[in-house]
Amino acid sequence: MAYRYTLEILAGIAIIAFCVLFLYTSATMSGAEFAGSDNVGSGLIAELSGTPIENFQPLIPQWEPPSGEIESCLFALQAAFGGILIGGVFGYWLGQARGRGTG
Amino acid sequence: MHIMEGFLPWQWCVVWWIIALPCLMLGIWQLKKVLRTDREALPLLGVTGGFVFILSSLKLPSVTGSCSHPTGTGLSTISFGPWITVLICAIVLLFQSLFLAHGGLSVLGANIVSMGIVGPLVGYAVYRLLRDTSVNVYITVFLVTALADMFTYVTTSLELALAYPAEVGGFASSFVLFMGIFAVTQVPLAIVEGVVLALVFKYILTLKPDILIRLGVFSEKMIEAARSEI
Repeated sequence: MAYRYTLEILAGIAIIAFCVLFLYTSATMSGAEFAGSDNVGSGLIAELSGTPIENFQPLIPQWEPPSGEIESCLFALQAAFGGILIGGVFGYWLGQARGRGTG
Repeated sequence: MHIMEGFLPWQWCVVWWIIALPCLMLGIWQLKKVLRTDREALPLLGVTGGFVFILSSLKLPSVTGSCSHPTGTGLSTISFGPWITVLICAIVLLFQSLFLAHGGLSVLGANIVSMGIVGPLVGYAVYRLLRDTSVNVYITVFLVTALADMFTYVTTSLELALAYPAEVGGFASSFVLFMGIFAVTQVPLAIVEGVVLALVFKYILTLKPDILIRLGVFSEKMIEAARSEI
């Protein structure tokens, strides 16, 4: 019983340590822009190939979100879809467990 | 881990698509088989897939001064194996290619190989190695999820290093450079993902242990032991 919440505590510590690490990095690392590693990787590709980054054109035409706001909205929708799935299923399972008298 | 559209030579796009397509077919076949056998597996598929949707949308800052996202593939790897995970990842990556300009259709094969195939395969190998040992279930889940995440980024580095070997030092030098960007950034994220998904697994064990037993994820004895531990 004493160890009932061990995993919850460990997860909490991991998340807090991660936040502290981020705050420390952002405060002490000069030039840390926190850009996506995908974009940083694309920059390295341009450097290694000796081709300016703007010369890399899609091989298959691609729709791009017209603004950062719309991109954030679509990312939020993606996360919301996942959240609805998880919440819905856990609710369903909890209902089943309560029906069996074990929840 | 997304290779952006247009950033991979077409020859490499074809190579990665050729590897990805049979795995996708295998995933579709396995999914049909699992759902034919046990319809109660569908909600578990929803939960494990839901975590891939959520976690791959979270761009988190890391120690390298850049941002990256977890993959969330560990839970479905443990529950359904690597091939069904390929299918889940392909759906997420297709969504991101079509609507977010993250990745793209030509590089989708390469991105499926890194996030959907190699990462989960490494995770699955760890799971199979530890499943029948005395290692705690939650430690197994932690290791599987963290390593599936890490090896996704190692594979992206490999894919890019193969396509863009450095003038001096060739593939090896280029691989180290890409690892510096992708894999180092990922270390703290993979650790946090591992701990959080181990916690989620605890809740699945608490609420629905029977489906995990029926799918043969862990033995009844191990599940009972894990439920009584924490």
